[in-house]
Amino acid sequence: MSDEAIDTSNADDSTDFGFTRVNRAAKAGLVREVFDSVAGRYDLMNDLMSGGIHRLWKRFTIELSAARAGQTVLDIAGGTGDLAAKFSRLVGPDGRVILADINAAMLEVGRDRLIDKGATGNVDVVQADAQALPFEDDSIDCITIAFGLRNVTDKAMALRSMLRVLRPGGRLLILEFSKPTSPLLAKIYDQYSFQVLPAMGKWVAQDADSYRYLAESIRKHPDQDTLLGLMEEAGFANVTYHNMTGGIVAVHRGFKP
Amino acid sequence: MTQHDPALLSAALSGAEVALNQAITLAPTSHQALAELSGTLLGVEITSLEMTLYLALNPGPEVALFSHCEETPDAFVRGSIEDFTALIASDDPAATLINSGIELEGRSASLIRLQQVIARMDIDWEAPLVERLGDVMGHQLAESLRGLFRWGEGARKSLKRQLSEYLLEEGRLTPPKLELEHFFEGVQTLSMQVERAQVKVEKLIAKAAARESRQ
Repeated sequence: MSDEAIDTSNADDSTDFGFTRVNRAAKAGLVREVFDSVAGRYDLMNDLMSGGIHRLWKRFTIELSAARAGQTVLDIAGGTGDLAAKFSRLVGPDGRVILADINAAMLEVGRDRLIDKGATGNVDVVQADAQALPFEDDSIDCITIAFGLRNVTDKAMALRSMLRVLRPGGRLLILEFSKPTSPLLAKIYDQYSFQVLPAMGKWVAQDADSYRYLAESIRKHPDQDTLLGLMEEAGFANVTYHNMTGGIVAVHRGFKP
Repeated sequence: MTQHDPALLSAALSGAEVALNQAITLAPTSHQALAELSGTLLGVEITSLEMTLYLALNPGPEVALFSHCEETPDAFVRGSIEDFTALIASDDPAATLINSGIELEGRSASLIRLQQVIARMDIDWEAPLVERLGDVMGHQLAESLRGLFRWGEGARKSLKRQLSEYLLEEGRLTPPKLELEHFFEGVQTLSMQVERAQVKVEKLIAKAAARESRQ
């Protein structure tokens, strides 16, 4: 990480990058470096790190989306395209799925995976920043962002951008690491995140630092109720959340009024 | 929010979905009947487990299971796990549905049809065994498994018959089915006669009251 990036002389211009404070303008670039580094082995690492449970978390998120044939679904930070592939089937040939990610390396992997899975006719791949979505107002039925919001520099701005592009009645689903509900589980989870996770990252992806950042960024991410408040402040209605695996992960759902 | 951890429920449903779809793949004779049911959505609430799940029959044919659904199911059934086990194993699903503790909302026809398809499903276990183990080994193993299943089925039927005979004949602990049905018919007839008599009495009372008011 360059000195320029961690220069936080002006406190208002700083933001979290894991446990480090960095310039707001530099965060996107730093996050990009992390994901450039892990893109090729992202799915493998997710499977190893979560024991495959991330697939179950995503499965429930898809159920909550209630996506139907003919709808338009935007998967932000969709990375390697596993959610987009499922949505492609659900919305059918009359629907549309937009796989969006700020990171070109992740999108490239995602696009290849989607082609391999035969999900091509109704899927568009777009490199986009969640804070300034390049889509028309009221044009999307459902937005999902799975394990992506914590890497966004200005979460409130991103939530407002998502609200803008959603159709009235449309829904946003945020699947993200959160705060374990049991203190014992929290302790075990801490040990796992800061001891096992970087070691696993070093072993499989030859990149301990990136996986240390992932663990740190999870701890800096707002907990369940704080995120619920952020969504309501952004203008979402009927916001609820479901804790999964003891609160290690939560899925928040809110609707555009 | 939800009572069960959605991830745990998703794991169970995901496993069951894979098993069901594998069974459907191995039972080609049921494909036509399942295709006719395509588009059907069933809701199931298992009261003893405090769990609600949904089953969708999709083209393919394939089955999708999920714990959250915002569409109105064609049929929604509520009951204990014992009730559903009895329904799946039943030779007469309509009677089981009426006589068990299962509550039904919506159309029963699709539920009964699905139960019949499941009950008649003839799964060809030999195909995947032959594919993995070769013609000779696969066929031998399939034959052994078939023999084991036949023996198991025979043993189950024999045990059921013997238990039934003991309860009816030896122990005289339960009345025979026909006698019980005759008794129920008698009770039903008596109930209807009482209802008719009650209506007649009410009519007579009303008539008498009207006569009194005229005088």
